[in-house]
Amino acid sequence: MTPQLSEILAQVVERPPNILKALLALQERLGHVPTEAVSDIAHALGVPAAQVAGVLSYYPDLRLTGSGRHLIRVCMGESCYANGCGRLLRELQDRLRVDVGETAAGGKFTLDTMSCAGNCAVSPTVTIDRDLYGRLLPSQLDTLLERYK
Amino acid sequence: MSTATRLYLSNDTSSRAAGAGVLADAWSEHPEVQLIRVSSRGAFFLEPMVERESPAGRVAWFNVTAQDLPRILSGTDGTPVRSIPFLVQQTRFTFANFGETEPLALDEYQARGGLSGLETALRIGPEAIIEELRVSQLRGRGGAAFPVWNKWKVAQQARADRKYVVANADEGDAGTYCDRMILEGDPFRLLEGMLICARAIGAGQGYVYCRQEYPAAAKTLRAAIQKADEAELLELDGEPFPIEVVEGAGSYVCGEETALLESLEGKRGVVRARPPYPAQSGLYGRPTIVSNVLTFATIPNILSRGGAWHAALGTEQSRGTMALQLGGRVKHPGLVEVPFGLSLHQILEQFGGGMAPGSRFKAVQVGGPLGSLFPASQMDIPICYDAFAKAGAVLGHGGIVVYDHETDMVDLARHFMAFTADESCGKCTPCRIGSVRGREILERIQAGSGTIEDLALLHDLGDTMKIASLCALGGRASYPVLTAIEHFPAEFRAKLRV
Repeated sequence: MTPQLSEILAQVVERPPNILKALLALQERLGHVPTEAVSDIAHALGVPAAQVAGVLSYYPDLRLTGSGRHLIRVCMGESCYANGCGRLLRELQDRLRVDVGETAAGGKFTLDTMSCAGNCAVSPTVTIDRDLYGRLLPSQLDTLLERYK
Repeated sequence: MSTATRLYLSNDTSSRAAGAGVLADAWSEHPEVQLIRVSSRGAFFLEPMVERESPAGRVAWFNVTAQDLPRILSGTDGTPVRSIPFLVQQTRFTFANFGETEPLALDEYQARGGLSGLETALRIGPEAIIEELRVSQLRGRGGAAFPVWNKWKVAQQARADRKYVVANADEGDAGTYCDRMILEGDPFRLLEGMLICARAIGAGQGYVYCRQEYPAAAKTLRAAIQKADEAELLELDGEPFPIEVVEGAGSYVCGEETALLESLEGKRGVVRARPPYPAQSGLYGRPTIVSNVLTFATIPNILSRGGAWHAALGTEQSRGTMALQLGGRVKHPGLVEVPFGLSLHQILEQFGGGMAPGSRFKAVQVGGPLGSLFPASQMDIPICYDAFAKAGAVLGHGGIVVYDHETDMVDLARHFMAFTADESCGKCTPCRIGSVRGREILERIQAGSGTIEDLALLHDLGDTMKIASLCALGGRASYPVLTAIEHFPAEFRAKLRV
């Protein structure tokens, strides 16, 4: 176990052990949860490694690899669907030359989807990191992406 | 600063997405403006909306840009809030504070009647609280519509060393956002509802399971909990009642109550078989009330106004008001709180204002991604649990999404099934495997190589998933798909291989 990992684990382990909370806290610090850390995490929590791996593979927001500097998520909820999120997604795929889940060359953007942002009345929605944009038109994407370095 | 005009601007996530954030940035340092960040009235089609006081009440300016400031400051062309049809036709109880108050101002919450439900609850005691809820005929607003009093009674009577109250803030149904609005806009109402529940069942700890997609909601709620704690509200019978916000990690199924409890315990968010119900054996095997945010937020008014007041609103089997959330290609998307019983047509015309410019109506989906589609010929259906149950549909959490003439029903059906395939927790084989097969069939039809047997197969698949899945995801996944085929058969047949 690296000193960094053991230090983080010492801070995130609760009693009773909560695997999801520990993994989210780890991801918050490292940007992702490295698969090779599973057995160390299991040891620190006092649970079987299979349980940790199970939780890690279950939740869509837990990432096994780092993402780009900025995470773009296109909302695929029904209101966004009705308001053309498909066009936005295709446009972003073309511009960034990536598929969903991939990181663009240069490591600036990772493209992903989400199932609903709860912004249905101001849809379609795209989130970039913790910022949320609504009523987006494909023609506005260039200006939007330029804001992120 | 004494000459500065107080301007009210919503700080709700959707208001900011509509441009309120840009206005706040532009005006925050302006010497003539004192900006008050309030909750949203829910008339999102008018946002960003800016209001100021006048002798006749608040006056509003719609779809404001930073350049509109001079006319707002001079009071030119404003519209009295009391004359906005979308709002005045509503019956606001749970959402009465929206647009009026600052979300974290506990004194404003109290000045408008907040905490009086809790006061009543503390005075009358557990048995009488549950009796008020029985009289009120309140049913859970998260989707299952189970009588709330019944659930509370079970938890109250259970003998255990610990009991829990859990607010389900995993509002995952696409097309719904009223819980997010409550969390961001009137968080003390949720906390008050949870405290009343804790008092009724004798719980010592509360949790709010908030979806990761709602960062502003979690932040506001944590701040509200701290304020409530400072005001010594998080105490019952001299014992502390701490409330913790726990964030999810992007799983839709975690909105199902037993999967939510698994996730709260830090495990895979997989559905548990019921019984035992959470009210008997929930979080860490202890009696637990899991209710949706909207349900908890409805309860303070029931305690302060009485169960009979609530029962007098709505229809026979659906008492009270419902928060409907309009989205999609409707002209006026936003939050509509009305008593149960209005027709779907009334909701879409009177409040939704008809279709967005350039759009023609094709279908409307009620009840989130597992909700049925309704064509133009079925718009008379009243918004209430019984009428929807009779039609084989669900009101769910009140999401209403309108699709226009450009919608490709085959692609939409594929979109629905792909959602279930993505989100199935994997516990029940019919849902885990069936949703993937369903998606493949629809992809086949979309690609032009489907046959008439494939349509029959989708029906069979739907029946199997319905009877052999533990939760509503598997149980209802086929409804939007099958109602799309039922109401738009020509679109599916046109794509079949002959």
